[in-house]
Amino acid sequence: MKAESLFASICLALGSASMFAQMLDPALLTKPATDAWPTYHGDYSGRRFSTLTQINQSNVKHLTLAWIFRIKVGITPNAIVGGEGPIPEGPPTDPGVSTIKATPLMVNGILYFSTPDNAWAVDARSGREIWHYAWKTKGGVHIGNRGMGMYGRWLFFETPDNYLVSLDALTGKERWHKEIADVKQEYFSTPAPIIVGNHVLVGTGGDSLDVPGFLEAHDPETGDVQWKWWSAPLKKGDPGFETWPDEYAMRHGGGMTWIPGTYDPDLHLYYLGTGNPNPVLTGRSRKGDNLYTCSIVALNVDTGKLAWYFQPSPHDTHDWDAAQTPVLIDAEIGGTPRKLLAQANRNGYFFLLDRTNGKNVLTAPMIRSMNWSKGIAPNGQPIPDPAKEATTDGVLVSPPTDGATNWPPPSFDPETGLFYVGTSQRFSTFYLTDTDPHPEGWGAAERDAGYLGGDLEAIDIKTGKIAWNHHYPFGGGPVGILTTAGELLFTGDGSQHLVAFDPANGDMLWHAGLADDLSNGPETYLLDGQQYLVVGAGDSLYAFTLEP
Amino acid sequence: MKSSSVSRILVALVLTGTAVVTGQTSPVESKGPPPKYDPISVERGKKTFVGACGFCHGSTAKGGEKGPDLLRSVVVLDDENGKTIGPVILKGRPEKGMPRFPFTPQQIVDVANFLRNSIKNAIDRDNYKILNIVTGDPKAGATYFNGPGRCASCHSVTGDLRGVGAKYEPVTLQGKLLQPSYSWTEGIPPHPVSAISVTVTLPSGESFTGTPVNLDDFNVALREPDGAYHSFKRTKDGPRVEIHNRLQAHLDMLSRYTDADIHNLTAYLVTLK
Repeated sequence: MKAESLFASICLALGSASMFAQMLDPALLTKPATDAWPTYHGDYSGRRFSTLTQINQSNVKHLTLAWIFRIKVGITPNAIVGGEGPIPEGPPTDPGVSTIKATPLMVNGILYFSTPDNAWAVDARSGREIWHYAWKTKGGVHIGNRGMGMYGRWLFFETPDNYLVSLDALTGKERWHKEIADVKQEYFSTPAPIIVGNHVLVGTGGDSLDVPGFLEAHDPETGDVQWKWWSAPLKKGDPGFETWPDEYAMRHGGGMTWIPGTYDPDLHLYYLGTGNPNPVLTGRSRKGDNLYTCSIVALNVDTGKLAWYFQPSPHDTHDWDAAQTPVLIDAEIGGTPRKLLAQANRNGYFFLLDRTNGKNVLTAPMIRSMNWSKGIAPNGQPIPDPAKEATTDGVLVSPPTDGATNWPPPSFDPETGLFYVGTSQRFSTFYLTDTDPHPEGWGAAERDAGYLGGDLEAIDIKTGKIAWNHHYPFGGGPVGILTTAGELLFTGDGSQHLVAFDPANGDMLWHAGLADDLSNGPETYLLDGQQYLVVGAGDSLYAFTLEP
Repeated sequence: MKSSSVSRILVALVLTGTAVVTGQTSPVESKGPPPKYDPISVERGKKTFVGACGFCHGSTAKGGEKGPDLLRSVVVLDDENGKTIGPVILKGRPEKGMPRFPFTPQQIVDVANFLRNSIKNAIDRDNYKILNIVTGDPKAGATYFNGPGRCASCHSVTGDLRGVGAKYEPVTLQGKLLQPSYSWTEGIPPHPVSAISVTVTLPSGESFTGTPVNLDDFNVALREPDGAYHSFKRTKDGPRVEIHNRLQAHLDMLSRYTDADIHNLTAYLVTLK
């Protein structure tokens, strides 16, 4: 069913103006968002570039605070309560629950977002709460939640104890919840579901106990599983099995799917980065490249079948998930228009691929301190130096497990041709602690060894060279980024400021002090003819707009 | 930045690289204390397990020639106090070649606690025990100390480093040589110590030196040794801001050391008793 006709038929079926106001037109998902922010990245491309120009270089100094919304988590007096766990004793104390890492959806004047076990609808004009949903948890790691997905009137989000929960956007009431993974096996779920057609795409995380990763498509009406793609082979003969020593290793091989992917409607492919192999920091029991962990994969969105893969970190032993956003870019390379995919990877390299077939176009280092690679193979893959795998007496490695960058969303500005990403340059010592031939869990300990600062980098996608960078001796690092056709780049500086840069040259144009560090990807939309900029910092959303 | 002072966070950022936005699998972000199991019961369970079960499942329960790895077993992960594994132990799994074991209820609970404790130890990476790290050559370490490492330009083995080999465990010593701005005492949460000072000079020539409280592109704030607090707005026209890290040489060395240099230095420092 075409997106437009689906929307029309849902509208017809519901047939009410008030309900209409709560609905998402799926056609919005395929173009850069203007009067909506209908999916995690604003659109399917992952570029986080807005075509809006009302806020621009000439007036950015006149941005003013429209409102602040501070979340109150847990079972608040007005909360709609769901969940399988016990009634908690007192409010949640885990800082992850009170940190907004979600990029809120904005549909028809209402913002929808979530933190672990909590979801809200907030009036995008006034910043006032419309409803709050609270989930009673059975446990799991409450480190973060990237937000919600929307299909017509239905909302979807994932919980730390691995349920996919669907809410009615109109009321915040739960429609159903489905368990997607076992919390007792140390799975925990953080991604924002991505909706493509009638597929709700959900991944999961958790690498403490050597469990396999997967991505699932669920039916938005029933919640039933449509297909499931495992990120490592399950048995001998499956694609990629030759990159593992045995079935036991591959079935405990990790490869989590904890960051939302991107989608090309023309190629009908969903692009996803997968997490590290297990055991995490030692590879003795899993000799080989360990496909499809630490990989960028293209999946047929209707079947879940693998179309192609590229593996940025073969046989990873440093927790360098390749989960960072695969950003879809259309640009000319050598005079030929190309369909490209760019990723700033946790391992310290920037990768540019042909997204029709996964062939490498370019690999370039992003940080100077990197010391784990012996160079780049002809196919564009870095060549790991085995001497930098954890030893009992310790090896000094940069980047550390946190990586040169991490989950906070980068941005690509088609007008400058530059890819923007927050990076950090750190060292850690990796000590092998589990010398058993079959190590379990992480198998090694990591100790901080020093920090050389962070950078906001602008990478020329055609050369991989850094066109400009803004160095932070005391902050920076991976922070979410938004670019706009108003010739603006918005991000955080790690010192509780929201900052507007000139994306062409890195000049600072405007800043505002917040009560916490930027903790999500900034977004922008037009509402009542007025452009808003919304950011999450700690427990609050901040909305800025131009002075009237 | 909820409960810590800004200055401590700043120092943490400067010296340890505690990232502002850390990753999903970062060891920096705690996921709370893991559950504890009665150590006496765990020890009893271990003895029972090794004696009765270890032959097939391995003495560490990670699996043996006949029996599967029990630390990755869904049956064990689902178990609470032996309720799930108890019937398996008592009835056996004859179809898979596992005999019955007539354990007492207490023995079942003990074995369950042993298994869950072993799983906890595999998961709890913040508490992994670092093994012997003194593998280097102390003579090569001494040569490096006095030669290419240029350690002797600031340190003396008969002065400030006298007796460090007796004062610190080797792991602490290696941590301190890499990152002296960090407290590495085992058993105490690692924490940064201040090594940065900042000098702000106004257009008038007046200057202030102290420990930075806040230092970014827009503001600089410092506390003077007498406790006085000063803050200044930063613009293109000034004031002039100079940062001094008394431990900068250690940061610079991170890009120069080989791992052998580090191991040799550690082995040398260990001898300074």
